[in-house]
Formats: sequence, structure tokens, C-alpha cells
Amino acid sequence: MDITTEIRKIVGNRLSVSPSELYCYSSDASQVKGMPDYVVRPKSTDEVSRIVRLAYENEIPVTARGAGTGLAGGAVPVGGGIVLDMSGMNLILEIDIDNIQVVVEPGVIQDALNDALKPYGFFFPPNPGSSAMCTLGGMIAYNASGMRCVKYGTTRNYVRDLEVVLADGAVIHTGSKMLKSAAGYDLTQLIIGSEGTLGIVTKASLKIVPLPKTRKLVIASFENAEIAGQAVVKTFSNGVIPSACEILDRVSLQVLKRYDPNLVLPSEGDVLLFEVDGTDSSAREAAEQIMKVCAPIALSISLAESEKKMADIWAARKLVGAAVSRLDPTKSRIYVGEDVGVPIKQIPELLKRVQEIAEKFDLPAMKYGHIGDGNLHLALFIDVLNKDEWDRLNKAADLVHRTAIELGGTVSSEHGVGAARAEYMKAQWGPALEVMRAIKKTLDPKGILNPGKLGL
Amino acid sequence: MKNEERKNGNETGEKNSKELPFEIDRRSVYKCVQCGTCRSVCPVFDAVGWESANTRGRMLIIKSLLEGRPPSEDVLPSLASCTTCGICAAKCPAGANPPEVVEAARAQLVKCGVTTEAQENLKSAVITYGNSFGETKDRKHWLSETERSKLPEKSGYVYFVGCFDSYRYPEFAKKTFGILQRFGVTLLPDEQCCASPLLRTGFKEDAEKVMKHNLDQIKKVGAHTIITSCAGCYTTLKNNYPEELRVISLPEFLAEHLEELNLKKLDLTVTYHDPCHLGRHNKVYDAPRKVIQAICTLKEMKNIKENARCCGGGGGVRIGYPDISLELARNRLQDVPESVDYIVTSCPLCVRNLRDAGGDIEVIDIVELVAMAIE
Repeated sequence: MDITTEIRKIVGNRLSVSPSELYCYSSDASQVKGMPDYVVRPKSTDEVSRIVRLAYENEIPVTARGAGTGLAGGAVPVGGGIVLDMSGMNLILEIDIDNIQVVVEPGVIQDALNDALKPYGFFFPPNPGSSAMCTLGGMIAYNASGMRCVKYGTTRNYVRDLEVVLADGAVIHTGSKMLKSAAGYDLTQLIIGSEGTLGIVTKASLKIVPLPKTRKLVIASFENAEIAGQAVVKTFSNGVIPSACEILDRVSLQVLKRYDPNLVLPSEGDVLLFEVDGTDSSAREAAEQIMKVCAPIALSISLAESEKKMADIWAARKLVGAAVSRLDPTKSRIYVGEDVGVPIKQIPELLKRVQEIAEKFDLPAMKYGHIGDGNLHLALFIDVLNKDEWDRLNKAADLVHRTAIELGGTVSSEHGVGAARAEYMKAQWGPALEVMRAIKKTLDPKGILNPGKLGL
Repeated sequence: MKNEERKNGNETGEKNSKELPFEIDRRSVYKCVQCGTCRSVCPVFDAVGWESANTRGRMLIIKSLLEGRPPSEDVLPSLASCTTCGICAAKCPAGANPPEVVEAARAQLVKCGVTTEAQENLKSAVITYGNSFGETKDRKHWLSETERSKLPEKSGYVYFVGCFDSYRYPEFAKKTFGILQRFGVTLLPDEQCCASPLLRTGFKEDAEKVMKHNLDQIKKVGAHTIITSCAGCYTTLKNNYPEELRVISLPEFLAEHLEELNLKKLDLTVTYHDPCHLGRHNKVYDAPRKVIQAICTLKEMKNIKENARCCGGGGGVRIGYPDISLELARNRLQDVPESVDYIVTSCPLCVRNLRDAGGDIEVIDIVELVAMAIE
């Protein structure tokens, strides 16, 4: 059987086997590489189902891909085979305000959904830094979150129902529009974060929430990142739940100021950004309480209330990850060890140990991230033309991952495991990994769905 | 177009390149960290949908060539379909400059003998006829013989007409020169294509010859300032010709001389499309707006200035990939606000593409608006 011909019967000319095209699908934003044999851009559940059935019958690996913004190689076909580029299935099928939910295809861009919801006064809260380009399908597959996770949770908290194509091409629904259900296993939650290893999401019903009336931003700077970490712990133990709580260490701050010199940010220390939202009075009360808690240990504290000022700071914050080359054109930020998380109380210790690791390997480092939920984005940067720096980088990243596990944390808080972090799954999960393997074996006995991922 | 299959090199009998090394500044390529931010803005990707049609894909393909993949025609649908509009550079968090990298890669591909037929035709037209259309008639055909004979031989100011206004929109050339003549501006005795099509599509060496010809002409006239009404000519004259040349765009010239033009107010509401090579590449945003607002009401498009979406006319895409080019223009028309009388722009390539996209609202060059306000 000629697979190319068979695929073409299903999707026509939305198949490519051009070497250049295949190369473009051989990586995402991580360092993981793997060449596909075919790239297919399906337009419907039926097409996905037929392609997967064909792959099942012929034991060809199938890797689903959204926008390819992943940082763990999740969408990289390390076993070759078919890449399903789902970004063309990008329709918002229903905005159901009465049931406060939406039905979307997996290729819908996060920002596009929120643009569509704004006129209704609603939003879909999980907002990764890549929200301008990442797809909802990718967010579901990796349980993505972002800056507002601390109050609003992760993608996992917003999925009501998924339409999923299973390994043999069968199509199931995992939930309904119901708010709750006490009937059977929660397959929706099983699929979320499964990185395309159990099935391929072709449709999703998502809960939405009303937009807050107002947002305010407390900007506080501290003598060092550890003290900033203590401020976070104190804030939470005082009963305040900000809508976002971000740390930007001094190097991140320099990068942001290089990116936009007009940004209103402190000129010294390591900075915390606490966003609070709600009604004007509740947000003000929360902001004042945060300022009071932080005052004894902060170098400076200020409050931003203008929408423009806040929008500028958040826009710059979203881009900080890749902006390091602006500080030193010979350095590039490499996404390794970039997504560890620990329980909130362990944050000061994590910050200290990560700094020690960066110094040990003589690597410049930026520390930023969603400190309010224990998630630290470490940005290590190197000269990509220097092999020695690559070696030191990989050793440092390995140590960072092992440190997070030692502190009772995770190697990935929101970016996923993919192939990049697969080797740590045993250390993080112990015997639970065997249960995951058993589930995988049951749902995908031939192992065609995104092989080489999650340490399965 | 969205569904069109990317050509498979093997299936189309690709020709392999000559055995030449593919050289390009590595750091400019490795600046791309593959974050994919460009996916959200690349207008060609928006129309085509394949990863190779966005900036990250192009940077990856160039990286693969640098790392030893032999250049072949297989790379052309990606690398030749970039309009060099530069919106990716404006948004790139890592500070990469993809249009420069793409142009450098095209130059390398030319050296390796990997080009499209459209590219070759374009080059041949410019080299043989001195214009991008292969037109044989006199470049100044839009002037009468008497007018031509009266052109000042010497002047500090020259109107560089460009291929488009000379051959496709002679009425723009007439109106522009009609205004500029009042200020003692003359024409080059033998203007040729500015070399933009050659530079944008990788024919650097051929471009040098054409630029030298024009520079000799400029010297002959004794001009220190060149005024041009084409965004493509403008960016080329300004950024690829010697620095000592003062180059200003027609909107800038008009904005500087508003009082002398004595324009009357018109009861019109218009919108303005920023040409990429005038706006994003050279930051000429305010002058055209100042001119428009001196005449009538300006209602802005949905995306403007550094966020303006490309019309699809540049970078050799119109000639190489007309379907993609027109889809970009149609997408750009979606940004037009309601209840405007005209879409005004300051580039003949943009005029043509936006007109060809077939919207309901008439597309005019800024000189036409000014001419209405003078008459």
C-alpha cells in the first residue's frame, strides 16, 4: 500500500512530503529534533479519524501539533511518521453564554478566543506567554496555564468535554456541557496533559468566566530573589490571593528595559508583580494588603492602575523569555530546565539553589515566572556557536530538574514533559509511572500515538 | 490557496544546485529561538497555512542550508514567498531581522543557481529594458515631446519616477511631477529601475550595475535630493544607495510644503494604508497622515503603522506567487473601516494590489488626493 496515495485520498493536497516542509515540522521551540515522513493538515474530525485509522493499520507513528510553540519537543515526531498539523481546524463553533462555555476546534488561538469573548464580557483565563500564537488544542494536550494560574487555575480547570480520536480511529466524547458528573471515570482529565499519547483532541467544550471589573498591579522590588520569595510566602499566608504573582530577577529586568526603555519598572533589585482583580474596592483592598505585607522587606513598592501601563508591563513580560538576545547579541536563550515548580514554601530555597547552579556552571541566568504557583522559569543563555557552553548548559539543566524533584516539586509546571524531560519521569513518579504505562498500553496498544514522549 | 500542496521537490523533478557553499552570517540566523511569535503576524502564513510559509519556517530552512543541506528548488516556495514586509522583525522578541536574512539567503540561492522562473524573468526585464515590466517604450512617454525638451538639465532636486508610475500609473507620474515642477524639480535624463526588484530577490551583482547607472545620472544632473513616490524605490534609494544621497518620499516632501501647496479642504473621509517599505522599514508614518489631515478626515484602519498588514505586493511575491499576493491584499482590505470614501496609500505597488483585490472602496495614491485638493 502506498501511504502517500492513501493519505492523499483523505486530505487531497493538504499533505506535504516536501523535504523543506518536513524540516519545518522537525522541531518546535525546544532543542528536540525529529523528521516526519508526512505532514498533514486535516480540516475535520472525520479526516483525523481516517488518517489515524490508516496509521493504526500500518503502524505508523502519529504526532499531533498545534502552533509548535512547545518547549519540550511534545509536537516533534521523534519516531518519524505523520505529523498532524491541527492549526487549520480553527473554528470557534459555539459561544454559549447561557451555559457559560464555548465549543472550539483545537486549532483556535488562545488570544483569538479571548478577542471573540470580550464583547460578551467573558474570558478564558489560562494565558501562556505564547497566547498570541498557541492553540487551545496544544494547551489542552499539555495542561498549559500562565500568569493567572495562581487564582484561575490551569487549562485542566476549564475543560468540560473533549471529542477525541483514539488510536484506532474511533471517536469518543469524554464529557458533556454539564457542570458536574458522578458517572464513571473522568476521561476528560485523563486526556488533558496526556500530550497526544492517548488520543487526538478534535473538539473541546471550555468553561469561560466573567471578565473582572478592574485590575491593579503592585510592583515591589527586593534586595534579592530569595527575599522576594519570602514576600510571596508571606502574602499568601496573610490570605491574599492575587490574580497573578510574577517574579522578574534583576537580569530579566535589564532585558525588559532593553526591550522597552519606557517601561515603568524599578531600577534595582529583584521585582515581584502582584496583580489583583475584582471590583474596584476589593482590588484596592487586596493591593493595599499586599503593599502592607511587603513593606517591611521591600526596597520599593508602587501601584499601577492605568490600563495602558499594566498592559505594557504584561506585554513585555510575556516576551521576556526570548528577548535576552537584545541584552547580548552573541547570546541566545535556550529552553532547557525552564519550567520547574516546587511547593510555594520551597520557593526561596529553589531560587537560591538555581542561582548556585548557574554560578557553578558559569552561565548567565534569568529567573522569572509564576512564583505565586511555585513555577520558576529559568532562562539560561549561551553562545550557540560554542560547544563547551552547550555542555555546561545541559549539565546545569539536569541539576535544576533534579533539584526540583528533591524539593518535592515537578520538572514541568506548564510546558510539559515531551521528549526533553522524559528521562525524569521515573524519578518524579516512581511506581506511578508504571500505571501511566499500563493506561498507555490499553489505549494505544500499538504505540503509534506520539511515541517517545512522557517517558512511557 | 490555503489548501494548496507544497510542491514536493522530488515529484516536480527538482534541479539540484551547483556545488557552491551556502554562506550567510550565522548569528543573524541563530538569533531565531523558534518561539513562533512570527506565526501570529506573518501575512503569508495567514494566507498559506503551512509552517514553511512563516518566518520561523524560513529561518529553519535557512539554518538547514547553513548546516549543509544542499540548496534545491524545494526551498523556493518558502524563501521566495516572503514579501519582506518586516512585521516579523517588528515583533520578534529576540531581535532577529528575518527580511534581511531572507534577502541574504536569496542572494546565496542565486549564486547557487536556485531561482524561480519568475525571478529570472524579472531580472532579465530589468537588465535588458531597464524596467521591471520589460517595457520598450520611452520611460518618459507620459510627457509630451515639448515638455521633455524643456526639462532642466541641472537641478538639486530630482523626481525618481520608478517603473510603476512610469509604465502602469503614468497619471500618478504626471500629477506628481506637476506638483514637484513648481519647486524646480527635474527628472533624470535616463532613469532606470531603482534595482529594488533585483535586491529583494537576490540578484545583488546585477543590482550594482543598475544602481551605478542611476548614480551616474544623478551626478550628471547635480542632484543632492531625490524625491520618490514609490515605497519600493524609496527604501532602495535610501538604504542601498550611497549614504550621502538625500532621499525623501513624496508624502514627506508634501508635508514639508503644505503651506505653499495651498490645498483646499475636501468633504471626504479616507483611510490610509501604510506601505511596509515606507512605514515599518523607514518609519515614515506621520508625513502621509499630516498631508491627508490637511485635506480631509482620516479614519484609521484596524492595524496601522508598525502593525499594518502587508498588501502582498512586495518582495517579488506578486510576480512569483500572484494568488498568495492577492489573498494578502484581500486580507488587508478586511482592516478598512466603515464609511470611508477612499483608501489612500503612498506606493503604486500597494495601489495595484489593493485595487486588484476587488474591494468596494476605491484605492488611490496620495498624489491623487492632493491633486483633488489643488484642482
